[in-house]
Amino acid sequence: MSSHDFITPAKMARGLGSAKSGTETHIRQRVSAIALIFLVPWFVYSIINAMSGDIVDAQVWAAKPWNAILLILTAGAAFFHMRIGMQVVIEDYIAKTGTKSALLILNSFACIALFVTVALSVLKIWIGAGV
Amino acid sequence: MVQLTLPKGSAPKKGKTWPKPQGATNLRQFRIYRYSPEEGGNPRWDTYWVDMDRAGTMILDVLFYIKNNVDPTLAFRRSCREGVCGSCAMNIAGQNTIACTKGFDELPGGVITIAPLPSQPVVKDLIPDLTSFYAQHAYVQPYLKTVTPDPEKEWKQSEEDREELNGLYECILCASCTTSCPSYWWNGDKYLGPAALLQAYRWLIDSRDEATGERLDDLEDPFKLYRCHTIMNCAQVCPKGLNPAKAIAKIKHMMVERVS
Repeated sequence: MSSHDFITPAKMARGLGSAKSGTETHIRQRVSAIALIFLVPWFVYSIINAMSGDIVDAQVWAAKPWNAILLILTAGAAFFHMRIGMQVVIEDYIAKTGTKSALLILNSFACIALFVTVALSVLKIWIGAGV
Repeated sequence: MVQLTLPKGSAPKKGKTWPKPQGATNLRQFRIYRYSPEEGGNPRWDTYWVDMDRAGTMILDVLFYIKNNVDPTLAFRRSCREGVCGSCAMNIAGQNTIACTKGFDELPGGVITIAPLPSQPVVKDLIPDLTSFYAQHAYVQPYLKTVTPDPEKEWKQSEEDREELNGLYECILCASCTTSCPSYWWNGDKYLGPAALLQAYRWLIDSRDEATGERLDDLEDPFKLYRCHTIMNCAQVCPKGLNPAKAIAKIKHMMVERVS
């Protein structure tokens, strides 16, 4: 006999009740997805073009104000969107509470760290170019 | 939570092959999931040969043929035999549906497998334990809730408002959609599933219901509602042609509407 044998179905269905949250996350995920619809094609097109030249050409391209701004926006939208998506994957696939909590925190830290790294790299090129 | 392997004792093994009916010329092979808690052991796939000239036209007829002519111990639920009660929902040739309206002409070629609805405990053979499914349905309080005192005769509704309920009220609670949903497989203890959410939306948009806000409050949860990832298995398998995924999307739209 398991410890759950006397739990009623209603108790299970009600669980801890509604968290009264989730809508904000839903909106954020959709809005970041809309941004990425425009930013990702621009990013892919630009990267393919940048690959045709050498590293100096790529730095000159990244130092142009609009390119730098769009690069930072792309990274921001992508890592923001990725954090939400990865959170769902972790919640679905990791059973142990401790491991799950640790991975959820790591997910947030990793996405923020990746964004800061990209943003600072672009700013360094931009500022370094003296624009 | 994702479970990539079946729990211990749940993996079906090769079972018995029942003899072919004598004198039959139009035979079809069926592999049917068998499990009996009294007998213990793992479930098994039994093989049956069915005389299609004598079996009728629907999968439910096949099951009756087997039960009446081959193996009387085969257990399955059925009642209305016309797609109204939802009792005979099961997994036929890899797809959840109801056996009474699934015709032979819709089946793929080769051996046909018949199994109970996935992801639920099995009571016996093709009979799943839908206790949790019904409790989740009860959670959405699928009935009219009002604060205005009851009118003398009836709650009235315009024809246009009544039309809004089309495509929602027809659900027969067969559980085909809910048990076909991977999100429900992984999070069936927290996610309400497509059938319950379809009914939730049916009452959310009922012009007579006065508990819309409270209903949305009860649903607003990262798991109860937002675990739907629009996989669309629900709409693909619904034997009544309903679209629970669309109803869930509309609930999400209502959630967004009230915060923006």
